[in-house]
Amino acid sequence: MPDSGYPWPISMTRLDNGLRVVVSEDRTAPAVAVNLWYDVGSRHEPAGQTGFAHLFEHLMFEGSVHVAKTEHMKLVQGAGGSLNATTNPDRTNYFETVPAEHLELALWLEADRMGGLVPALTQETLDNQRDVVKNERRQRYENVPYGDAWLRLLPLLYPPGHPYHHATIGSMADLNAADLATFQAFHRTYYAPNNAVLTVVGDATTDEVVALARKYFGALPPRPEIPPAPDGRVVPATGVPAEETVVTDVPAPRVFVAHRTHPFGSPGYDVVTVLATVLGSGRGSRLYQRLADGERIAQPDLVGAYGVDLAHAPAPLIATATARPGVTGERLAAGLTEVIDELATVPVTAAELDRAKALLATAWWRQMSTVDGRADALGRYATQFGDPATVAQRLPAWLAVTAEQIAEVAAEVLAADNRVTLTYRPEEKS
Amino acid sequence: MTLIADRPGPGEARPYRFPQVVRRSVAGGQVVAAHLPGQNLAVALLLLDAGAGREPVGKDGLGGVLAKALEEGTTQRDATSYALAIEALGTELVTGLDWDTFQASVQVPVDRLGAAVELLAEAVRTPRLDPDDVRRVRDDEATALRMDWANPGPRADAALRADLFGAGNRWGRPMYGDPDSVAGLDVEDVTVFHSEWFIRPGTLVVAGDLDRLDLDALAAAAFAGTGGPAVDRGATIEVPVRAERRIILVDRPGSVQSTLRLGHPAPHRAHPDHVPMALAGTVLGGAFTSRLNHLIREVRGYTYGIRGDFASSRRFGRFAVSSGVQTAVTAPALVEAVGEIARTQAGGVTEDELAVARSWRAGQLSVELQSPRAIAGALSTLVVHDLPDDYHARLREALLAADVAQVSAAAATHLHPQSLTLVVEGDAALIRDELVATGLGELTDDPAG
Repeated sequence: MPDSGYPWPISMTRLDNGLRVVVSEDRTAPAVAVNLWYDVGSRHEPAGQTGFAHLFEHLMFEGSVHVAKTEHMKLVQGAGGSLNATTNPDRTNYFETVPAEHLELALWLEADRMGGLVPALTQETLDNQRDVVKNERRQRYENVPYGDAWLRLLPLLYPPGHPYHHATIGSMADLNAADLATFQAFHRTYYAPNNAVLTVVGDATTDEVVALARKYFGALPPRPEIPPAPDGRVVPATGVPAEETVVTDVPAPRVFVAHRTHPFGSPGYDVVTVLATVLGSGRGSRLYQRLADGERIAQPDLVGAYGVDLAHAPAPLIATATARPGVTGERLAAGLTEVIDELATVPVTAAELDRAKALLATAWWRQMSTVDGRADALGRYATQFGDPATVAQRLPAWLAVTAEQIAEVAAEVLAADNRVTLTYRPEEKS
Repeated sequence: MTLIADRPGPGEARPYRFPQVVRRSVAGGQVVAAHLPGQNLAVALLLLDAGAGREPVGKDGLGGVLAKALEEGTTQRDATSYALAIEALGTELVTGLDWDTFQASVQVPVDRLGAAVELLAEAVRTPRLDPDDVRRVRDDEATALRMDWANPGPRADAALRADLFGAGNRWGRPMYGDPDSVAGLDVEDVTVFHSEWFIRPGTLVVAGDLDRLDLDALAAAAFAGTGGPAVDRGATIEVPVRAERRIILVDRPGSVQSTLRLGHPAPHRAHPDHVPMALAGTVLGGAFTSRLNHLIREVRGYTYGIRGDFASSRRFGRFAVSSGVQTAVTAPALVEAVGEIARTQAGGVTEDELAVARSWRAGQLSVELQSPRAIAGALSTLVVHDLPDDYHARLREALLAADVAQVSAAAATHLHPQSLTLVVEGDAALIRDELVATGLGELTDDPAG
């Protein structure tokens, strides 16, 4: 068993303006991954402004003081790089991997949009990207069967006012109402050096990166008080299971069973991660063996379970199955909940535990096999836990989980009165 | 001023080198490996000359059903035991196919690769193929395809493919078949296809730390019990382009977006214009900064994204553009996309655009080829297209050397805006009239209904 999940060097330097600079040198390939985690996500959005953090992420590619509209993408791709950004409830990350000689360009671009976005932001850009995001919503959530499951699960899991109550993509009404001044204020509030972690992994030294970071980011002023998101750590139990049934144009019944567990990064969530793998990852998992293979009520490719790695409130564990022809949603839901309930009563065997840990170890090393995978992990651990070096603890923590802990956590968080069930049922065809 | 105005230039370039390639002939099969020193993870991938192109016409989807059936138990153990054995190593058996090859692979910490390859070979070479299991897998696959075909895209893809290549040819039908073709397969189709194509040795691709791997032992496991000569791969297929542009409408009532699939036939993989064609495709639709994405997304806001490229297999190729656009702007999006293709064909590319395209494609060779999985994929390209060990180095040079005249000539020769098939999958009641009114071509309804 490895005693570290991160056998590469890590350094963290805090600039005077609060920007944390994390570096992990690896000379294997002449490439560097540059990654910025901003500690702002959809959990910071007040009512009436859902979807703003994500729409803002789009605006970050549309030019800044010294970078013309569309030039950001052109410069990174023209340097041979890959780039993207994502927004989730917890945070927003921006990243590019470039041939090592273009490290300085990447840092210049990131600094320019951290410190100089607002003067370049125009109504035309906002209107264009609002349309793009509305099309993203149509493409990913509205125009595909079951596409809105996540949008429906969140309000069932988290009460109104909770930072995870609404989905990151936001509502069409709020997106339509977004005005320029709100986005200018959003940048001034959250896109400050003391609210970000800059990570560079690959073909560069700490001294080199810190010197460049000082040069490009060092003069950006910190923001003294950054308003926190609402505290969501305690979600009062209702004592009543939540259920929703959607009758719509879907090809087969599908059931989602979800529970609030523990926040990502906590010992309890490490247990949930292993539990989810035992329950729903691979053909050897309990759900596959029982529902796809044993009773044969679930479609084999569409059965599984996974935790959603959110760190600021009890994170969801979601199990899902889709009915084989002739099987009702009710029967499928009953089968799914029976397997979930047994996690507390039927002990996980040594073979089940070893299988889960082996799959998790491979998944871990797969993320660590690229400089961009490593950079994002370091940014996460620096942002969420204050120390990038804690990344090394995650894999050993998973590998130390016992069958007893799984039974205990299952009894604690998977109880029926704490359960959310979302069922899709096909419309009756006349 | 707190920001630095001047854009920094590049530092000193550090050349990218593709990992050292090792080739061996062992036990009747070929091994192609890349050395990744210090890498904890390793990938082994068995390539068989058993792609969808080997499936008999009318048996579309056979390879996909066989791939699933491989995991329903072997002559040595049942399905559950097999799943537990291979997943205990930390991997699933990953199968896939394209027109040229079938592939099965495992990805594990390097010290487990030997055991994983033994299990891979056990499933591929000696599956149980119990008739009841095969029928169940077939039915499950037909159901899975029905689920998939409820999404926007698969029906439009099938309509385009049929119109380009002819539904009477295997390569004019969907690569994984459709729900009906799969439902119509019988047990014998599957067992015969296995005995014909899956017990030939093939090629074992390995990406990992070769200092910690025994290639001969891996090969011995992969090729045990196999035999049979290499089989003719078939000549390239010349597909004529259409005389006139046409619109095919696929009805998806209630759709809030229209799915666009525009395309025409294009040269096969070994065509000498491969590199300039790829670059022309990159300028037109390949990069985020492409002409199509710039106009349709960044200027008009019609879509979340639009892309286009030339793609090719050993025997044939195609140019295609795909997107999803808001229903209300279906006609203008289609008109503008066709206009951009025509402009590129007629006027070629600019040095400014090409500079981005060639640097991006060349840089991607170092940026994207990092993980063992990605390296194994690159090795597979060498195998499938008979390319030399230094292919990636030469490709980089060829990309960087391509000039405006070559790439514009490739665009002029290989883009055919007047011969495009324009497939639109959306709410026909809302978009039919305006599609007709575009005058882009005669509109027909998808013959598949």
